[in-house]
Amino acid sequence: MNRREFIAGLMALRLDDSGLLLPQRMPLGFRLTEITERAGIDFRHNSGAYGSKLLPETLGAGCAFLDYDADGWPDILLINGMDWPRHKRQRTTLHLYHNNRNSTFSDVTRKAGLDVEMYGMGVAVGDYNNDGFPDIFVTCVGQSRLFRNAGNGTFIDVTRSSGLGGRHAFSTSAMWFDFDRDGLLDLFVCNYVKWSPEHDIFCSSDGERKSYCTPEAYHGETCWLFRNRGNGTFEDVTAQSGLFDSSSKSLGVAMLDYDRDGWTDLLISNDTQPNKLYRNMGDGTFRDVAVGAGLAFSDDGKARAGMGVDAGDFNNSGSAGLIITNFDDEMIGLYRMKENGRYEDVAPATEVGRSSKKTLGFGCVFADLNLDGWLDLVVANGHIDEAIRLGRSGVGYAQPPHLFLNVGEGVFTDAASEAGLEFSRPKVARGLAYCDFDRDGDLDLLMTTNNGPAHLFRNDQLSGNHSVRFRLVGTKSNRDGIGASVRITCSGLSQSQIVKSGSSYLSQSELPLTFGLGRRDQVQSIVIQWPSGRTEEYKNLRTGASYICTESKGITPRAGF
Amino acid sequence: MAMMTDRSPTPALLSGLLITMMTVVAYSGYVAVQINGLRRVQRDLADRNRKDSLQLLRIHNDLNSVALAMRDMLDNEEPYPLTAWSAQFRRIHEDLDDALQREEQLAVGQPTQEQHEFLSASLARFWDAVDRTFILAKEKRLVEARQQIRLSLQARQQALSTSVSRLLVANNEREEQTALYITQVYDQVQQRAYFFLAGTLTAILVTGLYLTLANRTLFGKISLLAGQRRELAQKLISTQESTLRDVSRELHDEFGQILTAIGAMLSRMHKHIPGESTLRPGLLEVLEITQATLDKVRSLSQALHPTILDEADLASTIDWYLPLLQRRTGIVIDFRTAGMCFDLEPGVRIHTYRILQEALNNVIRHSGSHRAWVRLEYQPGALILEVEDHGKGLRSAASHQRGIGLVAMRERAELLGATIEFLTASPAGTVVRLTIPHRNDGGPGLSRPVLSGFD
Repeated sequence: MNRREFIAGLMALRLDDSGLLLPQRMPLGFRLTEITERAGIDFRHNSGAYGSKLLPETLGAGCAFLDYDADGWPDILLINGMDWPRHKRQRTTLHLYHNNRNSTFSDVTRKAGLDVEMYGMGVAVGDYNNDGFPDIFVTCVGQSRLFRNAGNGTFIDVTRSSGLGGRHAFSTSAMWFDFDRDGLLDLFVCNYVKWSPEHDIFCSSDGERKSYCTPEAYHGETCWLFRNRGNGTFEDVTAQSGLFDSSSKSLGVAMLDYDRDGWTDLLISNDTQPNKLYRNMGDGTFRDVAVGAGLAFSDDGKARAGMGVDAGDFNNSGSAGLIITNFDDEMIGLYRMKENGRYEDVAPATEVGRSSKKTLGFGCVFADLNLDGWLDLVVANGHIDEAIRLGRSGVGYAQPPHLFLNVGEGVFTDAASEAGLEFSRPKVARGLAYCDFDRDGDLDLLMTTNNGPAHLFRNDQLSGNHSVRFRLVGTKSNRDGIGASVRITCSGLSQSQIVKSGSSYLSQSELPLTFGLGRRDQVQSIVIQWPSGRTEEYKNLRTGASYICTESKGITPRAGF
Repeated sequence: MAMMTDRSPTPALLSGLLITMMTVVAYSGYVAVQINGLRRVQRDLADRNRKDSLQLLRIHNDLNSVALAMRDMLDNEEPYPLTAWSAQFRRIHEDLDDALQREEQLAVGQPTQEQHEFLSASLARFWDAVDRTFILAKEKRLVEARQQIRLSLQARQQALSTSVSRLLVANNEREEQTALYITQVYDQVQQRAYFFLAGTLTAILVTGLYLTLANRTLFGKISLLAGQRRELAQKLISTQESTLRDVSRELHDEFGQILTAIGAMLSRMHKHIPGESTLRPGLLEVLEITQATLDKVRSLSQALHPTILDEADLASTIDWYLPLLQRRTGIVIDFRTAGMCFDLEPGVRIHTYRILQEALNNVIRHSGSHRAWVRLEYQPGALILEVEDHGKGLRSAASHQRGIGLVAMRERAELLGATIEFLTASPAGTVVRLTIPHRNDGGPGLSRPVLSGFD
């Protein structure tokens, strides 16, 4: 840290009444403007709820940003549920919106062949066949679906032919990653509990009326790991990889390189069960090190209700910090890696913990919204119980999201109320993803709600901060470059990010990486570590631009972002 | 009574205050000690027990997970081989080891130590049996493996669960004991708090009573002293007036007569001495000196105690006095009376006259004004005398007026049972207002008004 940055850091602090140093409220430098309706997105989630209070109805559905037609403009995918059998009132499907390149979108679901009824939950987007077009895996209550991108604007359901058929479960989040580093994306799927409409359990808070059950009422279910054989089919390697765990009740998954050995590790959030940190042993197996790493339980040994999860180097230390959203009264878990390799939950002593005491968090992303070089934190909130106001004071069903602004060195301050009226309005939010859909160099947000509309928030920069974006194209590595880590150095500021699938809750953000740089106008160096093991370095790049980094072939600037 | 009035209450009051403060400090200290003790008890016992219970519940949960996993293995509904569960068992094993280690650090008491040793030994045997089961599963001896689960592992798991349940029960009993102990401590603290509160209240009550008594004594003494002072002042003023009257009479009657006689004799001598005699001018000069001395003696006699004061009413006296004062000092005094004149007792007249004199002296000496207004108002219920000037005012002249003059005015007013006010005149200056009320009870003040026909 140079002297100027040190003084700026001091100025960002203020003394509170008790004399403690607290982050000072600074102008946000951006606004989040809701443009959902203007953009032509008329989606509404259908949970299928008809009064029987079936467990999946409370968990919402996810969303994703993907460039399905590879035109360089990110498109939007919104996952949807459906009416339950014998209670059909309407036909609902997921929705694919094509980016018209003018901040509006067109619904191309039918044209793309995706108007398929399913009780969709989450989504993972990845080019599993390395053809340059992103494929879609939709997790469902029942049979999850794999849609292969035909490259002509349509998708083909290849669930059965790929070997993923014949599996009925309550699947939630999913993620594409190359766990064995063979250049092919493998698929990880989270499953929640053993549940079906036929085996739904009667739960009640007053002994008379049925209410939504907590997961304790159901048996857990193992997550799945499918290895990509490279011929369009997948092999279930859950058991031999050591990931089999019939007690897990998983809702979120994030990838990270916990031990910096180049092998992608997994962080899985479990609801009322210990979280899992699976260390990739590099031999096709994983070993759970969550207890030793301090992530399995809360500080007092309790397994919390883990929902969404993300990993990001929020203190620019080179090590990924973690966030796990939890139930209300449990607080968010915000973890920073200590020198001994253990994680420390810093939320209770910070504004992140205090602000999240009364909120139930789902989707969560680390994203540098104000482009100052420090990853901010956004959390989608909303309760599962519609009658929560009657039970506990101060906790609502609809809840405002959190926007924790990183004021430097990983110190967060909640600034949601300053980001925009529409953004801070209470919602029953679930999924959350980010993307620069309008290609102006900053990150916009997409949020889904349970049984409600989706919200698209455009990021309007006011600060004049600069950014640089990188899209990675693997050649030996998987084509999406998922798992590649990128480290940039810029006037003393060093940042790192990983190209990732998964994260958040049931959702997926865009794959290109965005680095905020403040007022800096040049990147001194960028180092890319590809999943194949190859390391590449580029120097002196201009900011305010987007670059395509092709493995072994160099870096190509794009016009604008 | 005499002893009480002579003794200062300050040491006793300070002692009472000290005792009260010491009692409060002692009580606060006691409460702080007890709170610290409770905090220690809660930290050492209650919190530790709570954390211990959490770890035991975690162990219990792990054992339940083991039971569920074994049931899944026997149900054979999962599309995975028995060996798939080995990773799950390894995780539970690691978690159990971690939980047991933490629990042992938190657990208290000898009986649980023995139970822990039993639990550790049982777990070791259980994991040994688990390992043997997975070896059988790996060797594809699935029937034997499942039999091992059914016959050995499930029974051991149940025994372990029972053992952990016992620990939880023991912990619960300890929690109950701790809660009971804390309740006892709270009861003790409450009891002693009441005791200390009663002590503090008693100390405050005693101090308060003593303070009340001391105050009463003090006020009695002050009242007595005030009475004595008033009596003394009255005697002093009476003596002063009496002396002045005597001196005035002596001067007038004795020295005046003598000087008159000397003057008469000198006049006769002057007539008998021939006109050309050299003694004649000298004798004339002595005659003039004698006349001047006689005038001065008469003037002094009037100044000390005007005889008109004994013979006429107050208004006439003032009417006589003011021209003399104007001639002597050059000040212009406007005098007005109002109301139906009534007779005043001689004492009232002399005190009122003296107050007027002092007020005018103050105007002349301190106000810087060359004009004054004197108003005498006979009201049905009171006599009001006002002396007004438009000079510097009382505040600016305050330092000069803190002399005996003001004190004497107040003393005289008090002797009359009157009130004297020093007011600010408009636009500037001072108004001295003396109000003498009528009194019918024989006390100081005016007697019943008597119409004198004065106007």
